[in-house]
Amino acid sequence: MAAVNIALPLPVLPEGWSAEKDFKAVGELTHATDRNIEPVGPHFLAHARRKRHKRTFSEDDR
Amino acid sequence: MSEEESPATRVAIGISFGNSYSSIAYTTEDGKAAVIANEEGDRQIPSILSYVEGEEFQGTQAKAQLVRNPKNTVAYFRDFLGQDFKSIDPTPCHQSAHPLQHDSTIAFKIQDTAEDTENIVTVSEITTRHLRRLRNSGTDYLGKAVNAAVITVPTNFSDAQKESLKKAAKDADIEVLQFIHEPVAALLAYDARPDAKIADKIVVVADLGGIRSDVAVIASRGGMYSILATAHDYDVSGTQLDQVLMDHFSKEFIKKHKSGGDPRESDRALAKLKLESEAVKKSLSIGSSANFSVESLSNGLDFTSTINRTRYELLASKIFAAFTRLVLHAVEKANLDPLDITEIILAGGSAHTPRIASSIVSSFPASTAVLAPSTSPTAINPSELAARGAAIQASLIQEFESEDIEQSTHPMVTVTPHLARAIGILCISGDESSGVFRALVEAETAVPVRRTAIVATPREGGDVLIKICEGRREIKVTKSTPKAKDKKGTVEEDDDSEDDYDSEEEEDEVREKTWKVEKVLAEAALRGLKKGAKVEVQVNVGHDLAVTCHVREVGGKGGVRGGWQAPGVANGSA
Ligand SMILES: Nc1ncnc2c1ncn2[C@@H]1O[C@H](COP(=O)(O)OP(=O)(O)OP(=O)(O)O)[C@@H](O)[C@H]1O
Ligand SMILES: [Mg+2]
Repeated sequence: MAAVNIALPLPVLPEGWSAEKDFKAVGELTHATDRNIEPVGPHFLAHARRKRHKRTFSEDDR
Repeated sequence: MSEEESPATRVAIGISFGNSYSSIAYTTEDGKAAVIANEEGDRQIPSILSYVEGEEFQGTQAKAQLVRNPKNTVAYFRDFLGQDFKSIDPTPCHQSAHPLQHDSTIAFKIQDTAEDTENIVTVSEITTRHLRRLRNSGTDYLGKAVNAAVITVPTNFSDAQKESLKKAAKDADIEVLQFIHEPVAALLAYDARPDAKIADKIVVVADLGGIRSDVAVIASRGGMYSILATAHDYDVSGTQLDQVLMDHFSKEFIKKHKSGGDPRESDRALAKLKLESEAVKKSLSIGSSANFSVESLSNGLDFTSTINRTRYELLASKIFAAFTRLVLHAVEKANLDPLDITEIILAGGSAHTPRIASSIVSSFPASTAVLAPSTSPTAINPSELAARGAAIQASLIQEFESEDIEQSTHPMVTVTPHLARAIGILCISGDESSGVFRALVEAETAVPVRRTAIVATPREGGDVLIKICEGRREIKVTKSTPKAKDKKGTVEEDDDSEDDYDSEEEEDEVREKTWKVEKVLAEAALRGLKKGAKVEVQVNVGHDLAVTCHVREVGGKGGVRGGWQAPGVANGSA
C-alpha cells in the first residue's frame, strides 16, 4: 500500500531525552482478535502465498 | 479422476444466483468484468423455470408463465438448497409451485414433461437445470464451452447449502472453483476498477434484493477484506415494495370499478398485478411517474393508472425507513459508529431506488460516501455487482490447481490475528494528552502487515521525537446549545434515521472522530534534521505481533531501527 502522508509535524525532541541507539521500546501490542480474512481478490492471494511460504520456512527452522 | 477440469482447459465465469434473479459475467482480455446478456437480451435473468407441455422456459419467459401456468412454474428456490423442509419459509412461493418435503430434502411437484403426469423434482435438480441454462447462455456468448465458475452466496449460507449448490452445479457440468460471499464480490467489483485506490477503509455493503436484504460491515485493509458484522432481514426487500404498489393499484381499481372485485382475491389477477407492479416500481427508479396497464385485470376489466414518484415514496416510506434501520443496525453490531464508515455500497436490484439511497445518505455523516446510481455518477449498476466480482475472482484463480485453491481458502490460511487497536504516532506534542495521534495501521488489520508514513517536521527542523503508540477511536460529542436533554448522546443516530426534519427541535450536536492514546509502544529520536525535512516511519508487524520499525529522514540515510516483542513473551532478544 502507498505511504500515508501526515501533514502535522512530529514533536520536538524533549531536552534530556536519551536512549541507546536513539530507540527505546516501552510496551507491547495488545493481544489481537482472530478473524477470517475473506479469501478473495489479488491482495488476499498475495497474502496466502506469503503465509504458505512462511510455513515451510519455519518448518525448515525446526 | 478427471472430475475437475485441468486449469488449462477451464472456461470460467462468475455467477450470481439469487432467489429472484441470476446474472453471469466474464472478464475481458484487459481484465474488465462484464455481465453477459442471455438470448433474450436480459442481464438480470429471473431465477425461474416453467414447463409448458414438456418444454422448459427460463428467465423472463418463465416469469410470464406465473400468470397462466403457476403450478408448473418454479420460483424463489435458491435458499431452499441444503435445507430442511421445517426450516424454510415457503411464503415467496405462494403464487408458483409449492415446495414440498421429499425425503430429507425439498422438492416441487410439477408436470415437466409432455406426459400428463406430475413429477417430483428436487430443489437440487431444479437448480441444476437453472444453472445449466445459465452455463449455456455463457457458452453461447463466449463461443466456447463454459465449464467452471465462481458463484456468490450470502454470508449466512451454511456448509450444507454450499455442498448442495456445489453438487447441483456439478450436475450441470460446472466446476465450482470457489464460493465467495455476495458483499465481498460487490466490494471486489469496485476495488477492481482501474482507477480505484487501495486504502484502509470500513465499507458497508447493503445488498437489497427481492425476498431478502443482507448487510455486511467489512474492514478493507490494503485490499484485504474481513467481515466485522452482518445483518439479515427477510421482511424488508423488493417484494414489500411491490406489495405497496399492488395495494395501491387494487384500491384504485376498486374505486373505479365497483363491480370489478378485488384483484388481490383471484390468483390470476394477483399474478398480473404483481408483475405489473414490479415493472412500475422499476420505472419509478428512473422516471418521476409511471404507468400501470393491465389487460383484463379482474372480471374481464382492463385497467390503466398512473402514479408519481412522490406518491410512491409516501406509500412506501415505512419500508424505506426499515432499509436504513437495517444498515444502521449492522453498523451497531460491528460496534462501530456511522462516523467510522468510509463508504456504503448499495447492491442488489432494490438499490436502484433513489429514495432508499437518499434516506441512507441522510442517516450518515457527510464523510460517508454512498455508492448508488442516484447518489454517485460513478456507481456500478447494483444489479451487476455480485456477478462482476465473481467473474473477477474467477479470472484470478482459474489457472490454479483445485488443490491450490482449496489450500489458500482453508482456515489455516484465512484465520488470522487482527489488530485490536490502531498503531500510530504522536504529532505536535510528545505528551499523550496533548499530542495528536495519527494512525499508521488501523485496528482490524490482519497481520503480518507493513505500513509506511511520511511525516512533516517542525518548521526549523532539528531534533524530533517519534513516539509510537496504540490508539483507540473515540467519538467526541460537542453540544452547541446549553440545555442538555439527552444523555445518551452517541447512539442517537438510530432514531432520526427516517427523516431528519425533526432535528430542529433538538439541540445541535457535533459528533467527531478523535483518537485516544491507550499505550506507548516505543520512542525514537532523529537528530539534526534539515529545515523542511520529512520523516519516513515504517512499521512492520509480524504474524506473532512482534514489531520492528525504521525511522529515517526522507532522502537521508541510516536512520534509527528498533523493535519490540510479541505480547506475553517473557524476555527475549530485542
Ligand atoms: N430498477 C429497479 N428499481 C427498483 N427495484 C428494482 C430495480 N431492478 C430490480 N429491482 C428489484 O430488485 C429485486 C431483485 O433484486 P436482486 O436482483 O438483487 O435479486 P436477488 O439477489 O435474486 O434477491 P433475493 O435473493 O433477495 O430474492 C426485485 O424486487 C426487483 O423488483
Ligand atoms: Mg441477492
